[in-house]
Amino acid sequence: MTDRYPAYDVLAKRWTESWNEATRKVIDRRLAVPREPRFFSASEWRTLGALCDRILPQPKDRPPVPLPAYVDQKITDGRLDGYRYAEIPPQGEAWRRGLAALEAASQEAHGASFHALSAERQDGLLHRMQQGDLTGEAWGGMPCDLFFEHRVIPDITHAYYAHPTAWSEIGFGGPASPRGYVRMGLDRRDPWEAVEATCGKEEARARRNNSRVV
Amino acid sequence: MSSDPFARPRAANGRAPDVFKRGGWVPMREFSDAEAVDFVVVGTGAGGGPLLAGLAEGGFSVVGFDAGPYFRPLEDFASDELEQEKLYWTDERVVDGANPITMGGKNSGKAVGGSTVHFAMVSLRFRPEWFKSRSMLGYGADWPLDWREMWDYYARAEQALSISGPVSYPWGPKRPRYPYRAHELNGAAQLLARGAEAMGIKWTATPLATVSAPHGRSPPCVYRGFCRFGCSTNAKQSQLVTFIPRALRAGAEIRDLAMVGRIEMGRNGRVSGVHYHREGHWRFQKARNVIVAGYAIETPRLLLASASDRYPGGLANSSGLVGRNLMTQSNQAVFGVMQQQVRWNKGPPSLALTEHWNYDDRKDFAGGYCWMAQGPLPVEWVTVQTGARGLWGQALRDEMEKYNHQVGLKMVGEMLPDERNRVTLAEEKDSHGLRVARVTYGWGDNDKALIRHALGQMQASLEAVGATDIFRQEDDTNHLAGTARMGDDPAMSVVSADCRSWDIPNLWVCDGSIFPTTGGVNPSLTITSIAMRTADRIRTLAARGEL
Amino acid sequence: MRLSPTTGLGLGAILSLAALALTRPPPWARAASGHLPVRVPTPDPGAAVHAARRMNRAAGVIAASVLADSAVEHYRGSFHNKAMVIPLVTATLSLAASLHGNGDRQAAAHRLRDCIYAAAALTGLAGTGFHLFNISQKPGGFSWQNLFYSAPLGAPAALILSGLMGFLAERVRDTVPGQPPTIGGLSAGRVVAAVTTLGLLGTVGEAGLLHFRGAYHDPFMYLPVTVPPLTAASIGHAALGRTHRRRPLTRLWLRFTALLGFAGTGFHIVGVARNMGGWRNWRQNVLNGPPIPAPPSFTGLALAGLAALGLMQDHPDD
Repeated sequence: MTDRYPAYDVLAKRWTESWNEATRKVIDRRLAVPREPRFFSASEWRTLGALCDRILPQPKDRPPVPLPAYVDQKITDGRLDGYRYAEIPPQGEAWRRGLAALEAASQEAHGASFHALSAERQDGLLHRMQQGDLTGEAWGGMPCDLFFEHRVIPDITHAYYAHPTAWSEIGFGGPASPRGYVRMGLDRRDPWEAVEATCGKEEARARRNNSRVV
Repeated sequence: MSSDPFARPRAANGRAPDVFKRGGWVPMREFSDAEAVDFVVVGTGAGGGPLLAGLAEGGFSVVGFDAGPYFRPLEDFASDELEQEKLYWTDERVVDGANPITMGGKNSGKAVGGSTVHFAMVSLRFRPEWFKSRSMLGYGADWPLDWREMWDYYARAEQALSISGPVSYPWGPKRPRYPYRAHELNGAAQLLARGAEAMGIKWTATPLATVSAPHGRSPPCVYRGFCRFGCSTNAKQSQLVTFIPRALRAGAEIRDLAMVGRIEMGRNGRVSGVHYHREGHWRFQKARNVIVAGYAIETPRLLLASASDRYPGGLANSSGLVGRNLMTQSNQAVFGVMQQQVRWNKGPPSLALTEHWNYDDRKDFAGGYCWMAQGPLPVEWVTVQTGARGLWGQALRDEMEKYNHQVGLKMVGEMLPDERNRVTLAEEKDSHGLRVARVTYGWGDNDKALIRHALGQMQASLEAVGATDIFRQEDDTNHLAGTARMGDDPAMSVVSADCRSWDIPNLWVCDGSIFPTTGGVNPSLTITSIAMRTADRIRTLAARGEL
Repeated sequence: MRLSPTTGLGLGAILSLAALALTRPPPWARAASGHLPVRVPTPDPGAAVHAARRMNRAAGVIAASVLADSAVEHYRGSFHNKAMVIPLVTATLSLAASLHGNGDRQAAAHRLRDCIYAAAALTGLAGTGFHLFNISQKPGGFSWQNLFYSAPLGAPAALILSGLMGFLAERVRDTVPGQPPTIGGLSAGRVVAAVTTLGLLGTVGEAGLLHFRGAYHDPFMYLPVTVPPLTAASIGHAALGRTHRRRPLTRLWLRFTALLGFAGTGFHIVGVARNMGGWRNWRQNVLNGPPIPAPPSFTGLALAGLAALGLMQDHPDD
C-alpha cells in the first residue's frame, strides 16, 4: 500500500471555509522557507541534510519537504521550546556541536564524511547516538542521546509534520477555521476530509474522491 | 487592521481589544503608575482573571499585568501547531532532577488569559475528601478550606465559564446542573466509553469550558480540534472571553506585554508596588496590595527574585517553602490502532473521561487519577511516536500514516508533594536581565505506583475495544502546583486560606501555586473557584478594615 | 434495550397493520347502533371534501418538513445505511399525494394516494424502530447524551403523522355525500382532533428535548414548549367535548401555533447564521445548527387541528 490517501491535497482547501486569512499567511510563509542556510556553514549544512534524510526519509516521487531549511529557520527565527535541559546548550550552539561531533564520529568509525556514508552506516551511527554511545571531545560534555532526543528528533520531525505535504500524506484534515467538523463518529467522514484507500481497486475510487475533496 | 500582538501593547490609550469583534475596542480605564492602586494582580490567567473581575466589581482600583500579548482570537489564531506555539511560555527555563519536567505547551501559557488560552478546557471538581487529604485519606497535606464552601464556588465558576457538561455527573456529591449540555462524543471518546463499559466502570462526557450552544457573542464549538492551540471562534471560555471582559467593564486596567520583574517592599514591612518592563523600559507601579497569580513557576520565581537585604530568601518565605513542594501531574498514556477510522482530531481532545480511580480507594497507593480520550494533532502526535517509542526513519513515517486510525487514553494523575521538587533561580539571565527559573523534579515511589496502575488500566480498556499495536507513553507530565502552598500554620505554608501571605499582609498569592495537593483532576476550575472566593474574602476583609 | 433492524421493521409492520385496521370501522362499531352519531340536518355535501383537502394540505406541510429535515439529517449521517433513502422517497411521494389531493374535489378516496400515505406512515414506524436501535447501540444506551445526539425519535414520528393524516384525509373524503364523515365509527372530527393533540404533544417533546440540548440559550426557545401544549390541551378538549361549539379560542391557539411553525424556521435561520462562519460555512452550519425544516411540522399539525374543528362544527354529533 503505497498511498493511503491518493490525490488528497490539504492545500486544495486553501480558499474554502476550512482556512482563514491568518492560516493562509502562516502556511505561505512556511512554504516560502529560504532554501539556503543562514545559520549553518556549508559543511554543517551537508551533514544536516544527510541527517534529515535518515531521520525522515522522503519518497522520491514528490517535491521533498526541505527539512534542513526549517531547522535553520527555527534557529534564525529564535523560536525556543520554553525549557532546556541543563546539559544541553542553547539550540544553535547545540546543533553546531552535535553536527560537528557526528561528523567526527563518522570520520572515526568509517574514515569518511557523514554525508558520504551509505544509508546503513549513517543509520548505524544515529542508532549509536540515540543509545548514548557516541562520545568524545567534540560533544563538549553534551550527552549525545539528549542531543538526539531533544534537538535532532523534535526539530526535524516537527518540521516535517508541520508541513502540508505530511498532512496530506497522513490524511489529516488540516486547517479548520471557521469550518470545523460535523460528522464526529467512528468511520464517518466529512466531505472535506481525506478518503482512505483501503487497497487494490479502492485506490482508484479514493483517488477520484480525493481530487474532489474541498 | 490586524496588528502584531507582540509588536506593541494593545491595551493602551484608554482602550483594550474587544475579542468578540474584529478590530473592535472596548474602553479601558487607566491608572497612573505614580498613584497607588488598590491591587496589582500579576498574571491574568485562571487565578488572575477572576480576581481582576471580582475586585473591580467590588469597587477597588485594580491593574492586571501579563507578560504575554493580548490576542484577538478571531484574527490572530491560525490553524497551525507551530505558529500557535506563540501562546506558550517559550522563554528559557532550566529543567533538571531525576525526572525533568516538560514545560512549554504542556503547562505554561503566556498571554492575557494565561494558560486558559491554550488549555484543553477540562473543568472538574476536586473530590471533597481531597481538601483533607492528610486527615481523611492519609497522605499529602490538608487544605485550610472546607469542601462545602468550595462546592458553592465551583458552581459559581461553572456558571461564569458556561461549562458544558452532562445532565448528571457520576461521581461525588450532587452538583447543580451544568449551564450548558455536554458535547457530542467523537469516535475517540466513544471508544473510551466502550472500554469503560467493558471494564464495568462508569464514564462521562467531559465537562468542558467551551459552549455547546450560543452564549452571548460566543458561537458554539465547531469541533475543529485545535483547542490546545487557541480557539479561533471564541467558543472556548478562556479568561480572555469571560472574566477579563468583565474586569474591563468594571473598571480594571489590563497591561499586556508587561513583565513584572520585582516586587518592591516599603519600609513598613508591606509591599509598595511592582517593577515591570513594558515598551522597552522598566517602570514602577505603586500599589497598596500585590496579588501574584503567575502560576507555579513564575510566582515563586518572582517572589524569590524580589529578595533584598531585608528578605534574603525572597518575599513571604519565612517558612522556606516558596518554590518548594512543586507538583506536576502524571500524564502518561496508552495508544493503539483501530480497524475503524477514528479521526480523533475532530472536536476537543477529551470529550469523555472516567474518574473511577479518583473515587475508588481499593488501591495500594495514595492519591487518584482520571483518564480521558485523546486527539493529538500531527506535530503533537509525532512527539509521542518519537518520544515514547524512539521511532525515526521510515518506521516513523509508516507508523504516522496510521494517524486516522489511532486511539488513545491519557491520564491526569496525582503526584505527591516533596520538598525536594522545587523552583529556584538559575544563574542565567533572560532577555530582561532576570534570573531564569530552574525547575527540579523527581518522581516518588507513590507516583510511580500510581502511574503503573493507571497504565495497566488504560491498556486493559484499549484491549477491551479491540485496539492493536498498543504502546505506552511512559514519560509525560502536565499541570503544575504547590510552590506557594496554602495552610493554616505559618511555619508550614506560605499563604493562609485567604491566599494572604503570612509574612507580608498586603502580598497575596492566588493561582495553582497555593495547592497543598494536586488531586487527580485538571486544576483550572479549582484555581478559578479559589480566586473567586479570594475576591469575596478581600471584599469582606476590606469592609472590616482588615486589609 | 437492544433492537435489531428486523425486529424494528416487524414492530413497525404490526403497528401499521393495527393502524390500518382502525380505518375500517370495527365490527362492534358497525353493529352497535348506540355508538352511531345522532342524525342531524344534512350539511353541505361538499363539506367533507373540503375538510379532506384541508387535511391533505396539513399532511403535505408535514411531509415537506420531513422531506427537507430527513434529507439534511440523513446526508449528515452519510446515508451509511442504504435504507436511509426511503424516508426521502416516501416523504416526497406523500408531498406529491398531498398536492394532488389538495386539487382533487371528488368525494372518493384515491387508491394511490391511500397507498402512498400508508407507505409513509409505515416508513415512519420503521424509522422509529431504526432510530430506537441507533440509540440503543451507542455507549450509554438511552441516556440524555444519546437522546441529544443520536438519531432523533421525533423525526420519523413526523412521517407517521404525515402519512396518518393523509390516510385519514382519504377516509374523510370517502364519505357518502350528505352523511357525516366517520373514521372507525367515530366522528371524523374528533379522531382528527385527537391525532392532532397527540401529534402536537409529540412534537413538543422533540422540540423540548432539542431546545434542552441547546440549554434554552435564547428565551424564544420556550415558545414551542409553552404554546403548543396549550393548543394541544385546547384541541384535545374539543375532541372530547361538544362538537357544535364555535371554539374561537381553540382556533386562535391553532392559528398561533401555525404561525409559530414559520417563526421557528425564521429563528432557526437566524441560529444558523449566528454560528461560526455563518452562511458561508453552510456546509457545517446547516447540518450542525438548528434544523431549519423542522418547525413547520407544528404548522402542519395546526392546519389539521383547524380541519378537525371544521369537521366537528359541520357535523356535530351531540
